[in-house]
Amino acid sequence: MKSSIARLLCRMLVVCLVGLPLQVNAGMIGTDTVVSAARAAAARDVIASALSRTEVQSQLQAMGLSPQQAKDRVAALTDSEAAKLAGQIQSLPAGANGWAVVLLIAIGVLIWWAVKR
Amino acid sequence: MGGQEIAARRAAPLGAAAATRARARAGFLFVLLAALGALGGCISLPQSEALRASPPTGLPRHVELTQVPFHPQDDFMCGPAALAMVFNAAGVPGTVDSLKPLVYLPGRKGSLQAEMLGATRRSGLVAYTPKPELEAVLREVADGTPAVVLLNLAFSWFPVWHYAVIVGYDLDSQQVIVRSAQRPRDEWSFSFLEYFWRESDYWSMLALPPGKVPATARAEDYGAAVAALERTGHAAAARASYRALLARWPDDLVGLIGLGNTDYALGDLAGAEKAFRRASEAQPGSAVALNNLAEVLAQRGRLEEAERAAQAAVALGGPTRGEAEKTLAEIRARRASSR
Repeated sequence: MKSSIARLLCRMLVVCLVGLPLQVNAGMIGTDTVVSAARAAAARDVIASALSRTEVQSQLQAMGLSPQQAKDRVAALTDSEAAKLAGQIQSLPAGANGWAVVLLIAIGVLIWWAVKR
Repeated sequence: MGGQEIAARRAAPLGAAAATRARARAGFLFVLLAALGALGGCISLPQSEALRASPPTGLPRHVELTQVPFHPQDDFMCGPAALAMVFNAAGVPGTVDSLKPLVYLPGRKGSLQAEMLGATRRSGLVAYTPKPELEAVLREVADGTPAVVLLNLAFSWFPVWHYAVIVGYDLDSQQVIVRSAQRPRDEWSFSFLEYFWRESDYWSMLALPPGKVPATARAEDYGAAVAALERTGHAAAARASYRALLARWPDDLVGLIGLGNTDYALGDLAGAEKAFRRASEAQPGSAVALNNLAEVLAQRGRLEEAERAAQAAVALGGPTRGEAEKTLAEIRARRASSR
């Protein structure tokens, strides 16, 4: 219970920190704002996105990236991509195809031939 | 009698265990049969069937982008390898080793789709995901852009994901030309591709050089793709792409605001003013256009005009009203201090 409150607090702090650079410059409004308006995304999505960005960043670190790598990678994602990744990094498709898989491919190909020819 | 009873009691649980095992075996068989039935009976490959029935119009019969180089992949490295191929085709250097830190995720022994797009942006290219249709991919290839596709090589319940690059096609033989894994040139029939492709919901991506609009692009999607590139700090590449967007859709708001913002980021205040003015004329309801116009005018020292634009932005209200009020307050403060 205590740790979940601490986590919430941490997250809110991070939102404040992450939320600030959303401004392009004093007075200028970024292009992203127009894009999300065109896509009917509400302002709360921006907050949700800031949350998911911190979540994705820590998950990427847990998966073997350095803090700087994780930060740079999250920065290259759009809000909706970050939101989709958050909590799903384990389950979303990750293109890999190692050598051990060649056998499986062969099985797949065989089935395909059996079915289609 | 007592002994028999005990034996019977012992036998009962043993029999139950055997029955459970038998049920489990039957269940496994049933699942296996169902899986085979699903594979054998109900696979539908609608896209390749539609392409066979009515070939797409306005496309060359045969295209092969021989200029797309081949990068063979090591274990688990199909993401970096696929990116290296399409990056090189777009004029950006890259190898499996140089791109691995941008996209490979050790904990998953693979590369995520979102990160394929992110790595493309970090390399200064526009990452665009076409409509989930083979015909769209063929049109892009015909337009000179190779496409990365995400395939599931195994089963839906045990997926093995893999990225391959489509570099050509032949409408007469109904085949695509593919660079994949250790094979620099494979010919796959449309239905072979579709069989492995459908479980990614026909996901594909393009890596476009600055200023190149995809053949099948929608204004909204391309604008969002360029804005995502702008966000990673590649202002010059994004500006060239916004210009190309506006050449096709002259009144597009994202294109006009993006052009103004990238002009501004690159220090071209005159260009930014022109773009925001154009935006506020083409889209009179845009408070963002007026707010940013006000800011640029203020920085160019035209405070009176700037105040009028900021006032108009505040009057329009909307979700950016707070920023517009701040801009107006700053301009008024500057005017007061300059008097």
